[in-house]
Amino acid sequence: MASLSEEVLLVVKKVRQRKQDGTLYLMAERIAWGPEGKDRFTVSHLYADIRCQKISPDGKAKVQLQLVLHSGESTTFHFANESTALKDREAAKELLQQLLPKFKKKANKELEEKNRMLQEDPVLFQLYKDLVVSQVISAEEFWANRLGGVTNTDPAQYKYKQEVGISGAFLADIRPQTDGCNGLRYNLTADIIESIFRTYPAVKQKYNENVPHNLTEKEFWTRFFQSHYFHRDRINTGTQDIFSECAKQDEKGLKSMVVQGVKNPLVDLLSLEDKTLDEGYGVCGAQPSTSNSNRTVKESSNYAIIKRFNHHSAMVLAAGSRKGETPTDQASETSSTDGNSRDSDFFQPPVKKVKLQEEYEDLQQENRPKTVPLNLKKSDRYAHGPVPLQSQQYTTSQDIINSVNYIQHEMANYKPNLTQVLSSTVATSAISALSPGGVLMQAGAQQAINQMVPSEVQGELKHLYVAAGELLRHFWSCFPVNTPFLEEKVIKMKSNLERFQLTKLRPFQEKIQRQYLSTNVILLFSQWLRDWCW
Amino acid sequence: MCADDEVSLLVIVVDVNPIWWGQQAQREPEFTLSKCLDAVMVVGNSHMAMARTNKLAVIASHCQDSHFLFPSKSWRGADNGGDDASSSGDGKYELLSVANNLIAEEIRNVMSKSEYKGNSTETLLAGSLAKALCSGQEMKSRILVIKAAEDCARQYMNFMNVIFAAQKQNILIDACVLDSDSGLLQQACDITGGLYLKIPQKVALGQYLLWVFLPDLEQRSQLVLPPPAHVDYRAACFCHRNLIEIGYVCSVCLSIFCNFSPICTTCETAFKIQLPQMVKPKKKKLKQPT
Repeated sequence: MASLSEEVLLVVKKVRQRKQDGTLYLMAERIAWGPEGKDRFTVSHLYADIRCQKISPDGKAKVQLQLVLHSGESTTFHFANESTALKDREAAKELLQQLLPKFKKKANKELEEKNRMLQEDPVLFQLYKDLVVSQVISAEEFWANRLGGVTNTDPAQYKYKQEVGISGAFLADIRPQTDGCNGLRYNLTADIIESIFRTYPAVKQKYNENVPHNLTEKEFWTRFFQSHYFHRDRINTGTQDIFSECAKQDEKGLKSMVVQGVKNPLVDLLSLEDKTLDEGYGVCGAQPSTSNSNRTVKESSNYAIIKRFNHHSAMVLAAGSRKGETPTDQASETSSTDGNSRDSDFFQPPVKKVKLQEEYEDLQQENRPKTVPLNLKKSDRYAHGPVPLQSQQYTTSQDIINSVNYIQHEMANYKPNLTQVLSSTVATSAISALSPGGVLMQAGAQQAINQMVPSEVQGELKHLYVAAGELLRHFWSCFPVNTPFLEEKVIKMKSNLERFQLTKLRPFQEKIQRQYLSTNVILLFSQWLRDWCW
Repeated sequence: MCADDEVSLLVIVVDVNPIWWGQQAQREPEFTLSKCLDAVMVVGNSHMAMARTNKLAVIASHCQDSHFLFPSKSWRGADNGGDDASSSGDGKYELLSVANNLIAEEIRNVMSKSEYKGNSTETLLAGSLAKALCSGQEMKSRILVIKAAEDCARQYMNFMNVIFAAQKQNILIDACVLDSDSGLLQQACDITGGLYLKIPQKVALGQYLLWVFLPDLEQRSQLVLPPPAHVDYRAACFCHRNLIEIGYVCSVCLSIFCNFSPICTTCETAFKIQLPQMVKPKKKKLKQPT
């Protein structure tokens, strides 16, 4: 029923639903339709329940809008106003398009989670099919223990997606192609442009300043690629390039990065130097030159390249660590280093000094849980171990003496007589006992059960076992019964178990009995069913 | 036959309990210790004849100790060339005849020397098995036990240690039982992967040994041999020594009981068990009229 406080966003007259004329109302939280002349709504759906909307193609005579719910049902509205049908429908469609996404998130999350769990775990999926689809237990009971906290977790967690980083080679990927006549073609995609802007905010700044007032985009990029800023050797920066400022800014930025250094106490970059090993095995006379003036031309161009390289890498890393930065944020850069990057975040390492002072777990005294000391009073019990008491044959000492004397007498003159070890009758009787079917070979006639029963039956048995286990778990978790809710649940579970037995176990048992006549198999199954389930 | 010169050792442990064999000789004169030893020699010879690299050892397990019948300390190998003891008239392979003579000599010594002292009537099988394990260290070996007398429960611990050591070293233990079933040997065979056989006819011992126990592990997979028997692994409770299927185990000393008792009698640990909560009957509250 429509409450008076609901805000009506759109009213569309002459909308037919199920061949009945009526009016469509789009409200703040739901969409409703009421037949002509009546006050009540016959159809009402919350936006949260709607999965998607569909419209009939433009060429069709009937202008329709269909709402598909999460539960699979669908409702179709036919816009019957001759003149404004299409307009009405478009209006309704656009409003829905704006509203649906707001409500979508809540319901979907749970469903998504459930779907994901079912997809990831085939055993769970099978269990779900066996129990819920065949209506042995309801879906809420099934999910009661499993979801445990989907709705409780911080929704912000789900919004966290990993941001795509910047490829270090994005500039190199713009491979220039020869144009045929002394020109070069650079292919710039939106991705590359974005990477350039993220890595070099100075370029972005220039872009914002100049385009579209002074230069077109194409011109800007042409100049960019022509500038020495882009090319490897930035030796002559004195030209009237709009990018010469960028170069200067980069220099500044690099210097400040170096000055800042690395705040990690475990890393000591200053002890790294270029040490040249001379012929004297490390003893070299002249000090390595660090001042610019002593450099040769070649050295200085190498130096420039390496410097450029380092700067580029640092920028790429810094850009990657700037999370969720919006384009309008440029003005508020609180960089402590240079205008180019927010390196303050990046260069703040975890406080390792504190960690060093922390005690290492391994070196501490072990805190073992308290145990009971072993104090055996009757240790002779272990001497014979868990072996049953066997009736000892009591021999009198006279017997013993007699036997010993007898055997000593016999063995005193022992001579091996190897030709008389076996007689043929004895040997043949032994062989017959050992042949298949003989006395000693009886046990082998029984095949293993798992060879006699095909794998589908085994699989079905496994599913039944798992399903029965799940039901029993629900049943036993109700004990001890101290609330009326648990009491109800116990009764319900009992009826569930009975239903399970009726719908699943009995038919399975009968199927086995019909197909596999071997008594062993039937006996085994019925015994298992009896023991396990009851 | 395998092409590589892998040494394969067969250790035969023979139970020569004089009391049992003395009684047996009086019960059944056609099968005595002499006959048994003859059969053992036949198997030993056959094993050595199968391949040149096969080796044999025979241990006699007595009530008081265990002796190596072969190879014995008095065996000097080739030094005995020309000795009339080693030359038997039938042109036998010399190694075999030497072995047989040595075994015979040693067993005579063993049986005549033993003065019966004390009242132990049990075979020291665990010790013999331990000796057998030690002798089979550097090579592929297996142990064949020919058991006559009954099990001795007092050797249980040692026995189980030996069995697990054999399992770790991949040494098979086979058992050929003459008289009464032995649970310990059944376990030994099951754990190490050997064969257990209780033979119905003692006089046919030689045939059984040749048929079942002569082939080694790889050859056995190609043969149809008696299937493994079902081993009863049920433990016996410490209080009554009855075999139980479900019992109570003390978590401190691991002793097994058939009934629950709040104090373990072996280590005197007291256990606190939470009894199920009693649901008190609720008094019905009278509803106040609103």
